[in-house]
Amino acid sequence: MTVRSTLQRIEQFFFYRESDRWVSVLRIGLGLQVICLCLALRKDWTYLLSTGGRALISRDLTEAALNAESPFIPRLGWLIEVGNQFSVPEFITLWFTWIVLMLAGCLLLVGLFSRIAAILAWFLYLCVVRSVGYFSYGVDNLTIIGLFYLMIAPLGDRMSLDSILWHRASNRDLLPFFRRILQIHLCLIYFFGGVSKLAGIGWWNGTSLWRALTVPPFQFVKPELLVRWKMFLPAAGLAICALELFYPIFIWLRPTRTFWLVSICTMHLMIGLTMGMFLFAFIMIVLNLAAFAAFESFTRRLRARPVGALLQY
Amino acid sequence: MSQARRPKRYRCLIGFALAHLLLILTVCLRDTFATFALATTIFPTALKPFWNRADAAASFVLGEDLQLRNPARNVATFYLNAAGIEAGYGFFAPNVPSNYKLVFELHYADNRTEYELPSVADAATAFRLESLLDRVADVGYEPMRQIMFQMLTYPVWQRHPDAISVRAVLGYVIWPSAEQFQRGEKETLEPVYAYDFDLRPSVPAMTRP
Repeated sequence: MTVRSTLQRIEQFFFYRESDRWVSVLRIGLGLQVICLCLALRKDWTYLLSTGGRALISRDLTEAALNAESPFIPRLGWLIEVGNQFSVPEFITLWFTWIVLMLAGCLLLVGLFSRIAAILAWFLYLCVVRSVGYFSYGVDNLTIIGLFYLMIAPLGDRMSLDSILWHRASNRDLLPFFRRILQIHLCLIYFFGGVSKLAGIGWWNGTSLWRALTVPPFQFVKPELLVRWKMFLPAAGLAICALELFYPIFIWLRPTRTFWLVSICTMHLMIGLTMGMFLFAFIMIVLNLAAFAAFESFTRRLRARPVGALLQY
Repeated sequence: MSQARRPKRYRCLIGFALAHLLLILTVCLRDTFATFALATTIFPTALKPFWNRADAAASFVLGEDLQLRNPARNVATFYLNAAGIEAGYGFFAPNVPSNYKLVFELHYADNRTEYELPSVADAATAFRLESLLDRVADVGYEPMRQIMFQMLTYPVWQRHPDAISVRAVLGYVIWPSAEQFQRGEKETLEPVYAYDFDLRPSVPAMTRP
């Protein structure tokens, strides 16, 4: 195989005919995610992000630790500094940031001024997550990943108000390119998640699953109930590892794609319901659907045979 | 765009995609190797030096060995953070650990003792509090940990201004296995760090591990 033909194959892999439905799913999903994150953090917003005695862990400390990594990582301190230039107190700037982030989430949801909303949501959420530092967990990074792809993806999908009001259309050339990056990124996430889990004995003997479901604050299932099903824990733990480890193979094969996608989304749904990690479950389902759901074939089937299409899917 | 210019643009985009995905791969490898090097895994312990070397190699590729002022390091760090790809994805891996618990022991002038847990207003923030406690326990630099304990104790003192001293105890909760739970065993708290804070105005704030 020559270099030229390899390049052509890579080009064909990244550039093909693709619908803009995946952008709609990503945009609406991330809009909802940003809104839900804002609402979830509302009561503790200043408690987590202030400086001095008003905060649980002062933002000064988190941002000082951030400086040790790089002084160029975006942070809320930059916005507070700008506010200070205009004699705006920290408290007001923090709440202004919350309002703008919430507004960006709402605009993403309806698809109005999508590009500006995506950039704003990405930048503000990135600042919040980096400044909240010690309090951040998986959901934050996955939301930033989603917002980063949304910000650079061709927006103006058919379901957005931008398209309906101003007839702005997505750049169709770039639609498949960004979807491919998201697809490969998800494959890497699951593969390394699966490999790391399989290296721990806890996922082979069911201990990890038992702990994940019973240790506070994930204690959504009563241990008394779960202990009755303990013989199934090792198998369930290994099934989760297998689902993640083989995701990069079976999600690409046409006959197994739907099964694997439904299984992984069900796994995340169960994580949400049994561990209370609703936002984590939601972002993972959104990313999976945006990356691998076959919207066109589903819509075609739905038009032809509404009930049959749902059953087949 | 003209047909002639299109392939050139495509190749630039493919170059960006490959660089981006290569960065994700390197970060994933670094974190996986670090996990294997630090945690108890099914691999033989003799492999630990190998995992350490592999982790160091991946960190080198990411420019983490460069000086803080080095532009290449700053560009890489900025991009990794901006794209949300600066950390790997070993959630709950290799094993789900037991969690940490922070307990405040409040002492009053009349010899009363009260206990309090750190609180947040929303259930969603409870997951964040859990992350914080994991990280506080991991802080290796003693003065930094002391400052964090001070910060965590301050709001408790504000709520109980008549307390004369507070002891903050961070403990590792050893959770029973399914079999132990069936036998009626409960979780136990293994203290890891404890700091005393004297809150009397005449005594300067004192801490000790």
